Amino acid sequence: MKPVATPSLGTLEAWMQAVVMHPEGAEAGLRSQPARRFIAPAARDPSAVVLPSKQLNSLERLEIYAHMYYARLVEVMEGEYPTVRQVLGPSAFSAACRGYIARHPSRSRLLNGLSASFPDFLARTLPRTHRHRLAVDIARIERAMEDVFDAPASTPMTAAEFAAVADRTRLWTNPALVLLKLRYPANTFMNALRRGGRPRIPRPRATRVIVFRRGFQVLRRDQEPEQFRLLQALVAGQPLAAAVRASIGRRAGSAERVAQRLRGWFAEWAGAHLFVR
Amino acid sequence: MGLPDLGLGVGLRTQHFRHITTKWPAMDWFEILSENFIDTGGRPMYFLDQVAERYPIVMHGVSLSVGSTDPIDFGFLDKLKALAKRVRAKWLGDHVCWTGVAGLNGHDLYPLPYTEESLRHMVSRVRTIQDYLERPLVLENPSTYLTFGVSSMPEEEFIARLAEEADCALLLDVNNVYVTCRNHDLDPVAYLAAIPADRVVQIHLAGHTDNGTHCIDTHDGRVVDAVWELYARFTARVGARATLLEWDADIPKFSVLQQEVRKAARFRNGLRKAAA
Repeated sequence: MKPVATPSLGTLEAWMQAVVMHPEGAEAGLRSQPARRFIAPAARDPSAVVLPSKQLNSLERLEIYAHMYYARLVEVMEGEYPTVRQVLGPSAFSAACRGYIARHPSRSRLLNGLSASFPDFLARTLPRTHRHRLAVDIARIERAMEDVFDAPASTPMTAAEFAAVADRTRLWTNPALVLLKLRYPANTFMNALRRGGRPRIPRPRATRVIVFRRGFQVLRRDQEPEQFRLLQALVAGQPLAAAVRASIGRRAGSAERVAQRLRGWFAEWAGAHLFVR
Repeated sequence: MGLPDLGLGVGLRTQHFRHITTKWPAMDWFEILSENFIDTGGRPMYFLDQVAERYPIVMHGVSLSVGSTDPIDFGFLDKLKALAKRVRAKWLGDHVCWTGVAGLNGHDLYPLPYTEESLRHMVSRVRTIQDYLERPLVLENPSTYLTFGVSSMPEEEFIARLAEEADCALLLDVNNVYVTCRNHDLDPVAYLAAIPADRVVQIHLAGHTDNGTHCIDTHDGRVVDAVWELYARFTARVGARATLLEWDADIPKFSVLQQEVRKAARFRNGLRKAAA
């Protein structure tokens, strides 16, 4: 095959990227409009650009990179979303990942943020069955677990510091804390799966979950609606008294009952290291 | 290049964090994958800080994309520089490759066409990066699975000229030499002979997967005999160099890595006998 006129380094790189990142493989990549724009003759015969070896032709050599591109990134996402994979099944999960990667190719030097918008992608693209909507909620939890794992370290407040808290004090929350409002009891479902159970796909029921890191352990817990609202207000930076007023409804019961609930919530949160210096 | 022979090391992997920081096993040094310790503030940094207190650390990256025609990412260089300072890295390296253009990253080591244009591009970028990082860059030969028709020189010549003209150091991955030569029907002995000894500060050893028609650099098993032989041959010529065993998939117990390191020591210390 007659070689093409010497392409520049930039042209070769752009061409190869268009070929190996094509979602349908290198052969489709070679024929794609972006690849043809860079080096048109290679669409008919890639040996015009890539030499064959004794064992593999030019297309087969490009296919190695095309295969590795998706295989590597899907493997990363399998590690990040093990429960979503379990709920969707390996084949459907892999197809969803490939669709996501094709739509949202990595623009970062790091892999941490590769799948940042995968839950939203699933919400847009999966069928609207209970199983699939549950998978979206689980994806939000597993994404939060990744973010919390990488969040900056912080020092929890001590008992003495808690004792000094006044009505107008602003409490600082752990940067390794994510609050999630979900449509399904996804956290309970995940717990059952991880204990080795075979839970049924639940009916929709609004739940509120916090994902946080205590030390190096990533944990998740369901929260009561008012408890969740109060935590939201504190995360937003409201002073303690204002946050309590904004989140505890009039029907919350007697002052004594409210105080008892607040004490319980704060004890739980303090034990979880949700408030930091 | 003025960089020390650190002895024999292994890659620091999360699976071994607990073992290393409780047993403090005998190991000359550890190599980290730089990207795994950037923009993360939890468990990885906690363990890395402890390891860096007791062992020399070398930083090795996969995302610098020196050969890309995209602009240099100075923000990323800042992060590398900060991490190198924090762990007192002995040196910092990456690959002779590109990983993406037009702002994208394929998270793979893509091959360059070995042309005069690519060489000028790489030399200029390596010089800029070294100046910015204020330390020599140690560049590794990648495993490659294709060659471009426009290439006008062999990979080993490209790398040798790059090292001289950019005044950078080299990391010779012996397994990559074997894989690349298998994939391109080349002679690995001739490849090694063309690598300038005075530029090589580090050597990598790893396992690969042989698919019959081609080899893939998978880092998922023991070093094969042919690679040990090339290692012995190369070290017999250039002398002992900081050598690292890479094992990144199907990662075994730390004791298995130590067995492979002891094997490397036999080749390194009895180099000439092993080569003979």
